[in-house]
Amino acid sequence: MAAVESHQILIGTPITSHSFNRDRTELAISPNSNEVNIMQKQGSSWNVIHTLADHDKLVTCVDWAPNTNRIVTCAQDRNAYVWTWAPETQSWTPTLVLLRINRAATHVRWSPKEDKFAVASGARLISVCYFEQENDWWVSKHLKKPIRSTVLSVDWHPENILLAAGSSDMKARVFSGFIKGIDAKASSEVWGQKLPFGTVCGEFPAGGWVHSVAFSPSGNAIAYCAHDSTVTIATGPTQPIYVIQTNTLPFVSLFWASEFAIVVAGHDCAPYMVLNNGSQWQLTPKIDNGKKKEVSGNSAFNKFKQMDTRAQQNTDVELNSTHQNTITCVRPFVGTPDRVTHFSSTGVDGQLVIWDLLSAGIANLRL
Amino acid sequence: MSNTLRPYLAAVRSTLTAAMCLENFGSQIVERHNKPEVEARSSKEVLLTPVIISRNENEQVLIEGSINSLRISIRIKQSDDIERILCHKFTRFLMMRAENFVILRRKPVPGYDISFLVTNFHTEQMYKHKLVDFIVVFMEEVDKEISEMKLSLNARARIVAETYLLQFS
Repeated sequence: MAAVESHQILIGTPITSHSFNRDRTELAISPNSNEVNIMQKQGSSWNVIHTLADHDKLVTCVDWAPNTNRIVTCAQDRNAYVWTWAPETQSWTPTLVLLRINRAATHVRWSPKEDKFAVASGARLISVCYFEQENDWWVSKHLKKPIRSTVLSVDWHPENILLAAGSSDMKARVFSGFIKGIDAKASSEVWGQKLPFGTVCGEFPAGGWVHSVAFSPSGNAIAYCAHDSTVTIATGPTQPIYVIQTNTLPFVSLFWASEFAIVVAGHDCAPYMVLNNGSQWQLTPKIDNGKKKEVSGNSAFNKFKQMDTRAQQNTDVELNSTHQNTITCVRPFVGTPDRVTHFSSTGVDGQLVIWDLLSAGIANLRL
Repeated sequence: MSNTLRPYLAAVRSTLTAAMCLENFGSQIVERHNKPEVEARSSKEVLLTPVIISRNENEQVLIEGSINSLRISIRIKQSDDIERILCHKFTRFLMMRAENFVILRRKPVPGYDISFLVTNFHTEQMYKHKLVDFIVVFMEEVDKEISEMKLSLNARARIVAETYLLQFS
């Protein structure tokens, strides 16, 4: 599959996290610092138009709510802010969120209806935050038991109630994030009938730290990738889990492209897909054509010159893939949640790459 | 003897490639801190099982990993007293300049001759595969360096002795 476009947004600095707005004209990134850059596509390159600089420590995650046009950012300084666009001043104004955590925040996601969001933290808990009209700020409720270690990632169920969380105590769990006053009734055929806030609907083991979790588009299954290079799919609290062992380096980010296809990416510097061919899930070969090596005329001359002056045997420093370092974040770019056609990825090399899922000839999978 | 070198280095290389999958991890114990977990050793669940790769009882590599850092300790082959002294002086020379080395640790882990500490900040700035290449080449080269130093030491000792005894002949 071809990378449709790749942009070197930052040179020598990793992109910790990225999120697009609804029409994909603007991009919010965390450039491995205390600031968040809002970039706009001008011509064929991305330029910084705003900088949000309220955090004191590394911003670990940004999420842009497409419909309400709000950005939530969380950082290692134990804070999160919700930024709203103020047209009068043409700037983003922050609202403090009372997370009440005493360790770093690691991950944040808006719920599908965008009335609440969940923040994963190193305080061994998840803060589910909602807006309190009377006091004009965001308040939180904590999901604590039975989490024993830093929560590394969270993802919401499409019906706005359930929350999946992956943690470094090597477990993936599904919680109920039902908030009285914001949500209507809470129940699901697959995950449980009565779901008051804090119910653990399912707890699934893994062989290593669970880096990323995601609900399927229907919400009936979750997928998670762990540090033992496995991708696991769980379809409900009582069903057995399906584990796919891979011989690649561990994956750190994943999302469902359809009910039968999952895109995973991580330390191997290229995205892969996990496809369901009816009866079993399988990992496909990596979906990256790789860089075309330009063979110049005097490459042999240069090679021996390197050996003579610098005693270097091989001059190949670049990897044979579009990303030159770990991919840290993959997100759907174009398409509906149950039929994603393009996705974006950012990594430690500072590149943003947009990938095309259809051109890889993945027409044989049931989309 | 040297037919164990290639598999030894291949095992070290593949273990290092797997262990160098690091990410930023804020401390769970102290707020607002970010420490290499392999050095702090405060939370057991974020540490990986240490792996020892031995070529023989005199040459070993200990690789301790964690979620945001990696410690590599090497025991260099030292077969006699001269080599022990040379190795000690050589590693001491390197370790006193550990700041320029970036990934070198100032003190070796007890039981080993030299140690490296690689954190997620290093893997963000440098290519992981080149870091692995560096460590493997270092392991190959340090043996050659010490043998060379020993040879030149013996050669000099012989020349000095000859020149001194010449005055008595």
